[in-house]
Amino acid sequence: MINLSKRLPFRGIEKQLTVAYSSAPKEQHDEFKALNLYKVKGAETPRRIPRKTPVFAPRTTQMAVDQDWGSVWPGPRSFHPASVPLPVRQGFTEKGAPIPDKYANAELMKIPNFLHLTPPVIKRQCEALKKFCTPWPAALDSAEKIQQHFPLEITSSDYCHSSPSIRDPMARIVTLRFKLSSLHLESRAKDKFLRLVGDKYVKDTDTVTIVTDRCPLRKQNLDYAMYLLTALYHESKKVEPWEELKSEADMETYIWENNASKQAVEKIFSVAAEQVPNIEQYSQAVTDYMNEGENDYTISKYGLSVRDLLNLPQPIN
Amino acid sequence: MLKATAYLFLKHSTHRAIPTRYLTAAAELQQDERLQSFRTQEADPSKHSKDHLAQFYTIPLSDRNVLFQHGGLPKTFQQHIKTFNETCLMVREPAVDIINCLKSIDYDKPAVRFVLYGKNGTGKSISLAHVLHYAFKNKFLIVHVPWVGDFMRHCKDSSNSETREGFIDLNINAAAWLLHFRTQNAELLKNPDLKISRDIQWTKRESTAKDSSILELIEHGINRMRFASDCVNILAEEIKLLSNAGICKTLVAIDGFNEFFYPTTKVYTEKKEIVHPNKITLTEGFLNLTKFDWKNAAVIVTVDEMTVKVHEEGTDPSMSHFPRFLLGKHGFEHLDPFLPVNVPLFSKKEHESIMDYFRERRWVRPYPGQDEELYFLSGGNPFTLLDYCKSL
Repeated sequence: MINLSKRLPFRGIEKQLTVAYSSAPKEQHDEFKALNLYKVKGAETPRRIPRKTPVFAPRTTQMAVDQDWGSVWPGPRSFHPASVPLPVRQGFTEKGAPIPDKYANAELMKIPNFLHLTPPVIKRQCEALKKFCTPWPAALDSAEKIQQHFPLEITSSDYCHSSPSIRDPMARIVTLRFKLSSLHLESRAKDKFLRLVGDKYVKDTDTVTIVTDRCPLRKQNLDYAMYLLTALYHESKKVEPWEELKSEADMETYIWENNASKQAVEKIFSVAAEQVPNIEQYSQAVTDYMNEGENDYTISKYGLSVRDLLNLPQPIN
Repeated sequence: MLKATAYLFLKHSTHRAIPTRYLTAAAELQQDERLQSFRTQEADPSKHSKDHLAQFYTIPLSDRNVLFQHGGLPKTFQQHIKTFNETCLMVREPAVDIINCLKSIDYDKPAVRFVLYGKNGTGKSISLAHVLHYAFKNKFLIVHVPWVGDFMRHCKDSSNSETREGFIDLNINAAAWLLHFRTQNAELLKNPDLKISRDIQWTKRESTAKDSSILELIEHGINRMRFASDCVNILAEEIKLLSNAGICKTLVAIDGFNEFFYPTTKVYTEKKEIVHPNKITLTEGFLNLTKFDWKNAAVIVTVDEMTVKVHEEGTDPSMSHFPRFLLGKHGFEHLDPFLPVNVPLFSKKEHESIMDYFRERRWVRPYPGQDEELYFLSGGNPFTLLDYCKSL
């Protein structure tokens, strides 16, 4: 208490000084405001009254039951709760709480929707497009025939936006797809072709996929893809002089006929390999053993084939 | 008087005999029951069949002393022989399979090669020993290399070959092997038909004349250690000639055969360079014997992971116990077509059999659930099982 009372006079002085400094400039100019570091009471500026925007009821409340939905939602668009007259709910909640409804629901806005592609709308669009179509060739009635007569599959995409530009850079990309078997290459050429295309070949489906996107226009990219196909085909058919130097060590797979195994069998039986009994089974077993790698299955198959080849009794168990 | 004595004797003897006989019979019955489970009295390997699988048979001491006097059985197994005071082998599928094949081979055709493979400690060497015993009983000339690692990794000495440029001789090892060969085939080598086909000029003064016996050649190799390596190679050629002529039937058994193809050895030249196995004189002779270009012969080799593991630092993920990996390309081509024989891990039955054997030998003390626990712990691996049984 004593301390506080002692300090009081100082405070008074301080306050007086501040007032003296802050009100230093005597003439008042309209464009300059006084530097008001410490809050000093003066004339209050009138507070702006925020303009009220009228909040309408959601559009869905005024929608007719038999309205044309295609006109309400004509194109792809992110979800809008007031335009979709459906009580949809989406999102994660704590246990027991209800799933959030459609208003202010980010989850619903994140996911793509197909509200512009309802069956009646698709039907209407197809009807509209029909006059530009020609009838499907009657002879092409199966997938095999299509594959046989039209081995090349060219894919590109058109983009339609409601933006100022009607061009999309992705429209230039051309994808060329075809089955390797439709090129009718012999084994050496096929091997070379596969080495040239690398990972563009999928073994399971026997498909080669070439994607070109380096030129600015689709036409140029398509031409380039066709050029690549032509070049690949002829390059793989060509036999360079250095290719003749390929030796056994360079082979990617084990071929029994080229190996010491065949010579050994021929020496043992002193006849040509083809005349040795059970030779197909044996050569197949050796090839599998070498190509598929060693495991219990391949080695036992090899063992059994050797037993047959050398006329040894079957295993005791 | 005589009559009375006879009566007395009879009475006395029957009096003594009855209880003894009863006792013996009772004991025999008990013994039989146990024997049926894990022992077989069939000591002749050529009669072993499917019915004897997982049972133990005893190699007579006389056979063992001849066959395995200078090695041929794994070290741990030798310790067990000493502990158990008998050489008991389990009749297992690979050995029976090979014996079965050996019985039905047409020996007028080129030599058939067998390759025993399997994980470490599954009993490849023991299976080989079983087959060797068969060969011994059936009067095969046995060419047995107990462990190729002894040449390539634990060689006693090495010197430059005098006869061939760039080759290395392992004199002591070669002489030791010749001694082993002579011991194993002591009986057969007495056959006067086993003669050498050509004059051999060792030096200016030393030579072995044509038609002198094989035994003389071996003796020369053992006594004049300088020529031991060359002697092994010449012996290999001569054995091939003799077998081709039908004078003897030969079984070649080589343990750790893949070492002949493994590029890294612990044999060094004078400049401390590692010697490749094909620059070691001994290799040539044994590779010569494992070719198929002769008849009246069979070849059994084992391939072993140990060879590779010793050299590689750490464990290689590509490591495998399969023949192609261990033999390499050249080794595979050398042996192909061969019959791969897998030496598997213990089956449940085999495991129970060996545990019965251990219990009978008082090697482990029984407790309930022992078999299951040890089978689980060892995973059926015989070598691991031995390890676990040490402390029981």
